[in-house]
Amino acid sequence: MTDKPLKSHVRPPQDTMPGGAGQGCPAPDAQTRSIWRRIMDDFADHCRARSLFVLHYCTGCGAIELPPTITSRFDMERVGITPMVTPRQADILLITGYLSLKTLKRVILSYEQMQGPKYVLGFGSCTINGGMYWNSYATMKRLDQYIPTDLFIAGCMPRPEAVQQVLLKLIEDIDAGRANAWQDYYRNYDFYLGNQQRLFGAGWNTPTDVIGEARHYGYYGPGTEGEHTRLLAEGGGSAARLAHAEYPSTALTGRIKS
Amino acid sequence: MSIPARLNEVLNELPAIQARPAGARRVRVDVAPQGLPALLELLKGRLGFIHLSAISCVDWIEDGQFELVYHVWSHEMKLLVSCHVRIAREPGVYVSVHDIHEPAGFFERDIHEMFGVHFDGAPSMEKFILTSWEGPPPMRKDFNTRKHVEETFEWVDYRPDWLKDIERKGGGIES
Amino acid sequence: MTTPQVPDPATLAPSEEYDLYFGPNHPGIEGNYSVRVRLKGDVICQAVADGGYLHRGFEKIMEDRLWVQNIALVPRICVPDPVPMEESYARAVEMIGGLEVPLRAQWIRVLMLELSRICAHLFTFGGNAATIGLYTNMFWGVTMRDLFLDIFEEITGARIYHIYITPGGVRRDLPEGVLERIEALLVELEERMPQFEDLFFNNAVVIDRATGTGRMSAEEALAWGVTGPNLRATGVASDVRRDDPYLVYPQVDFDIVTETGGDALARMMVRKGEVVQAVKIVRQAIAALRKVGGPVRCELPNPLAWDLPAGDAYARTESSKGELGFYIVSNGGPRPYRVHVRGASSMHAVQVLEKLLVGSRIEDVAQIMFSLDACPPEVDR
Repeated sequence: MTDKPLKSHVRPPQDTMPGGAGQGCPAPDAQTRSIWRRIMDDFADHCRARSLFVLHYCTGCGAIELPPTITSRFDMERVGITPMVTPRQADILLITGYLSLKTLKRVILSYEQMQGPKYVLGFGSCTINGGMYWNSYATMKRLDQYIPTDLFIAGCMPRPEAVQQVLLKLIEDIDAGRANAWQDYYRNYDFYLGNQQRLFGAGWNTPTDVIGEARHYGYYGPGTEGEHTRLLAEGGGSAARLAHAEYPSTALTGRIKS
Repeated sequence: MSIPARLNEVLNELPAIQARPAGARRVRVDVAPQGLPALLELLKGRLGFIHLSAISCVDWIEDGQFELVYHVWSHEMKLLVSCHVRIAREPGVYVSVHDIHEPAGFFERDIHEMFGVHFDGAPSMEKFILTSWEGPPPMRKDFNTRKHVEETFEWVDYRPDWLKDIERKGGGIES
Repeated sequence: MTTPQVPDPATLAPSEEYDLYFGPNHPGIEGNYSVRVRLKGDVICQAVADGGYLHRGFEKIMEDRLWVQNIALVPRICVPDPVPMEESYARAVEMIGGLEVPLRAQWIRVLMLELSRICAHLFTFGGNAATIGLYTNMFWGVTMRDLFLDIFEEITGARIYHIYITPGGVRRDLPEGVLERIEALLVELEERMPQFEDLFFNNAVVIDRATGTGRMSAEEALAWGVTGPNLRATGVASDVRRDDPYLVYPQVDFDIVTETGGDALARMMVRKGEVVQAVKIVRQAIAALRKVGGPVRCELPNPLAWDLPAGDAYARTESSKGELGFYIVSNGGPRPYRVHVRGASSMHAVQVLEKLLVGSRIEDVAQIMFSLDACPPEVDR
């Protein structure tokens, strides 16, 4: 991983970054971590794998198999997984089936609101290759082009047992430190944003400052910024604005004082 | 199967109407565009056709016409009358029957969005389903969904490099 | 650039009213749907339904596929209650093609339709209870439904999307011994019904919250085009199975359940009554299937080269949500020329919901939506 800035990009001064320099999470580079940090991270992964919240967002028809999965018969809570109503407190985004373009926008917004580490599961064939709706103008065909996806479940529709199996596999992966797809969103943000812009037009924008977060978490890579993120900056998009720390503090606190 | 006498009586009052039975409890009525509101009004007032089941639109691109089909059901007569109207495909404008049947608002909005037919006097012609869509009305026959998909989306790579590597070594899923 | 320009609240005039987006990412919303409500305090003064999150363009992609390929596509239009979709499509095709369904297949279809109705009502029952905070009902309803899904799985091989009813009959005959297992399950359901009754319908919280919530009168319901259980809850005895009968429903003995309240409680009471009636119909179907033999499908041409004659047909079915319509036009080709689906929820998930929400409180939005049994996928299609 390198945080060498691209030729056209000027890195903002450290003190304008959210959290400021040296605060919050330092960059956990696998090679440079101390033994103590590595033990702590392994322990955190181990704990994290045992308490997971699934975002309660019924994005498609697969949602019909979730009530059986979470209720008495299959009972997902046995393995420490339970629904959560807000994206900010959820760990898992379960994409239950096809996503129409209108829903895909909301899914991306929800995904960016979730706090890392976060995991995305593609549920059903339609998240893999379009499935039944391969020739439909209204649904997206590949989920992993728009948000990084950890695991897929094949089938239309997958049974609750399959949902449970994929969740157990996810637990195993988290425990072993393998479920790191979410970091890819920061490292290759330009790729994902480009695919999103291809569907939603060059004006597509989200309120989350992904590039700033990438720096903050230490996942800023050569793929974070590129021709597509430059469109954000050129149009005065929110990501660019946020990076220069314009909006969170000044406007709000100023008004409260007056 | 024949048309009930009461219905025939009402239909005979209006000009340029052709009616024929179309199966059990189904009557097909072909009517000129300007005669439809009066027909629906008469059916509703005299024979109790108060339930507008649906409005369907069919794009007959070769004839340059849209066919609008109003399915009305009478709880008293236990009969479904399908009123067929043909309007010119260009400019594709017709009148709303929202004042006669309130459910028409939903179907007219839907047809406007999917076919681009404008209904004068409808309560809302705003987009409902396709708010993220900027292309032509998708249900028109000249819009090819398969072509659109090929141009817009990328397919999964069904033979990625790692699979080719395996195949080169004599393995793979096809052998 | 489409960055929303958020006005500085300090510059706006003081207002008591505010907009709130209810859904699509909201646990109280049924499916993937959204309602934008304008609130004054916590009372709704305006509601605007916002759909299209589940739009898959069914009507378009069905024009792109063969008649037989569409059988696999139709159940996906309404997820909680897929069998009426298959039935409507199959019947519309039969009407155009003049196909005769063998008697045994007709009884099997009735059996499947009523089992699906029980499933859908149990699911709504659970969901509706959850919107007023009674999660035990949700667990019970969903688990009970799951036992019926096992029966579906045994008959068709799939829990949710059965792809079982085909034009001209059903895909294959019932497996050995399934009728006995259905009977045993019906007994179990009947044993549970008093428990559901105690937990839900006699529950003071339910009676308090649901009485008078989302009330509509019979005149309003008829004018707004409401159908199905929601219409019957206002006292109108209208049922497609009785008024415009299909399959062997004329020979079936069942009552049309009606209530007079027209509110959320009345709608749930109607559904409860319909489960009882569905059990009655399933028992009659089982008795008939023990006597009626013969084929379960009429002779069909090669499905890959099957040209239906030109014509059109409008098939209506009573689904668990209301009247379901399929209008199919054939121009004599191997594919449908046009398919129009009148989703059973088209009315009560959009226009009627918008009207009923006005004047109600924010905490009742989810309850009203579930008590209407709105099914967004069939609205969006």
